Amino acid sequence: MIQYIDMHAVLQESISGVYADLVTRPTGRVVRERIERAIAGRGGDTGEITIARMDFTGVGCIDYSCADEIVAKLLRDRPAVLVLSGITDGHREAIEPVLSGHGLAVLIERADGTLESLGAAAAVAALLDELVARRLAARRPGGTYALTLA
Amino acid sequence: MTRLVEVPAHFDDRSFDQFAGAFAEARRDDERLLFDAHAAEWASPYGLVGLLAAGQAARRPGSGSPAERPLLTAPTSLEVLSYWARAGFFREAAELFEIHGKVPRLKAAEESEVLLPVTPVRAAEDVHAVVSKIQQRASAILASELSLDPKATMGFAMALSEACQNIVEHAGTGGWVAVQAYNWRRKLARRVVVIAVADAGVGFRHSLEPTQNKRFGDRWGDAAALEAALVQGVSRFRDPGRGQGLAGIRRYLLRWTGKIAIRSGTARIAIVPQWDDDVPLKDGLPPFPGAQVLIIIPEQGSADR
Repeated sequence: MIQYIDMHAVLQESISGVYADLVTRPTGRVVRERIERAIAGRGGDTGEITIARMDFTGVGCIDYSCADEIVAKLLRDRPAVLVLSGITDGHREAIEPVLSGHGLAVLIERADGTLESLGAAAAVAALLDELVARRLAARRPGGTYALTLA
Repeated sequence: MTRLVEVPAHFDDRSFDQFAGAFAEARRDDERLLFDAHAAEWASPYGLVGLLAAGQAARRPGSGSPAERPLLTAPTSLEVLSYWARAGFFREAAELFEIHGKVPRLKAAEESEVLLPVTPVRAAEDVHAVVSKIQQRASAILASELSLDPKATMGFAMALSEACQNIVEHAGTGGWVAVQAYNWRRKLARRVVVIAVADAGVGFRHSLEPTQNKRFGDRWGDAAALEAALVQGVSRFRDPGRGQGLAGIRRYLLRWTGKIAIRSGTARIAIVPQWDDDVPLKDGLPPFPGAQVLIIIPEQGSADR
């Protein structure tokens, strides 16, 4: 099962006020802990690989600290595949170096459904293999990948 | 008895060491301080937040009585007074100093040059507010005046966020941030956006000492601490993900030929772009508490001027 996480909604639940930016470590920590609880609550923390689709639509800025606290730590602390959607160039700018620095990778789901990788090259290859092996993603004509479950 | 600390007539990062020297000298015998800015002609955002940090440090430990706040003589020039007020300086200074002189009752500016008036940073919520505000205000300025790609606005907000977080995470006290755009005749003869962040907290050496002191051995000091933080991406936390903030700022500045300089204790480190002739590392400066960060992003497309 692929879990859907609305990052903007989680952010709004996590901080007081009306801010739309994923900034600061304390905010990142609270957001990650909410995501972890959601994963655990849906039986996703039983040693099995966690697969989550994180939708960043509506999120303004994400800084390096938050990218590390949320995306990198979710990947470091458990076997997980993260598929990010609603990602802007600015989000990518913060997330990519954090992932590369730790030898981690995520997938980005483009608007047309195809998957793009982000992060360390070795981790990217393993990530795609994992999804294909679990039949959660399939290779499309032209060599691109897409999730099999919408 | 009151000790005098003269505020330089042109108060910016270049004259800051002169100010820090006077401040260190005046603090020696623990007397009440008088910061004399009556002759001030101009102050950069760095000067303004640095003066607030000095005021914060000059409150004697354990005090809280208004009578023990340091004194500040406001500038006599109406133009300078007006600018300091519009930049949000007096709003913050009122809590720290006993101010002498006529201070205009102006609100902090909502004008094009002052992208972010002097703003206190004490907690993560303050960083959220700063980032939110700067994105509303800075987007058009960065694109139209500095010719930055509109995509650079988010990177700018990230850099600002990380600079402010240094206060929240490491200073052990509050600090201030200010962002301003102006024509920088001194070096470039073009527009720049400047981020200035200052606190009077524990500083980089103290923050990193528990984890880095042994590694550096005899070399350990303010300069080594700054080098560890800015160049090596070292953090006081053992978490492997730490140290991303300053590294991220460096990447952003490299792309936009910007400059960062950090002063802490008796040292100052800078990542110096081609257009500047600053020195990368200075040690043995007059001591000043906390950390003071200067980030400059120049107008694009004329870097070789």
